[in-house]
Amino acid sequence: MPDAATPDIAPLAVTAADLHLPTQPFSAAGLHLELVPAQARYSLRARDAGLLAATIGRALPDRIGDTLDGVIKLGPDEWLALLPAGATLPLGEGLPVSVVDVSARAVGFTITGPGAAALIATGCPLDVERMAPGRATRTLFETVEIVLWRQSETAFRVDCWRSFAPWLWAALVAGAQG
Amino acid sequence: MLLIHCPYCAEARPEVEFAYGGQAHIARPLDPSALSDADWEQYLYIRNNPRGRHHERWRHAHGCGRFFNAVRDTVTDKFEVTYPAGEAAR
Repeated sequence: MPDAATPDIAPLAVTAADLHLPTQPFSAAGLHLELVPAQARYSLRARDAGLLAATIGRALPDRIGDTLDGVIKLGPDEWLALLPAGATLPLGEGLPVSVVDVSARAVGFTITGPGAAALIATGCPLDVERMAPGRATRTLFETVEIVLWRQSETAFRVDCWRSFAPWLWAALVAGAQG
Repeated sequence: MLLIHCPYCAEARPEVEFAYGGQAHIARPLDPSALSDADWEQYLYIRNNPRGRHHERWRHAHGCGRFFNAVRDTVTDKFEVTYPAGEAAR
């Protein structure tokens, strides 16, 4: 079992230590980086958004890049649900929808502070300053694919596949240190 | 940085998010076994190499994940238009 020194950041007994990630947040002038605690992630695919919404019993955002109650619309038929740890969704067996638990696939970071957008812009080719709060998208940080979610003017959430997480953390810390 | 307009995301996005997918609007023959070798070669290997307007497939690989079609000028590298896959050539 993970203890306080090695917080559980993904299911399947994966801890920050297992991934060689730091267990302490990082703070610099105007910036704070922190690992997101373990949470449930679901990849949702369906041609019929209404059927998918009815299957999982949640409303889905309509427009690509919008978020609604922890659900991000990534593509025309693809959503990513970021839910509290332990949350489960009905899998919709037999229906033309795909509801897949990918909780252990990714690791999340939060980047907060007035310098957050500038830090992300050190490796992300998007025009981060123009991204509206509440918008989220899949994109790149250097060569690593991330899901970037602007939660407010000064708070971003970044998800990346967990094998990339130590590098991404190091790159963000290096960027924060100037 | 080259920006490409993704017709699904409805945004101009950086080129590094995209993957090139070759010439667009090449329909697979419905009955390959009925084709002559020359026709099959034509379908498999022979592509346009225009100086100017080129119809090509792109995929927003690190974005919405979708294939779409684009008209790009091979001289200026300017994208004239992008449109969803399945629509008629522009």
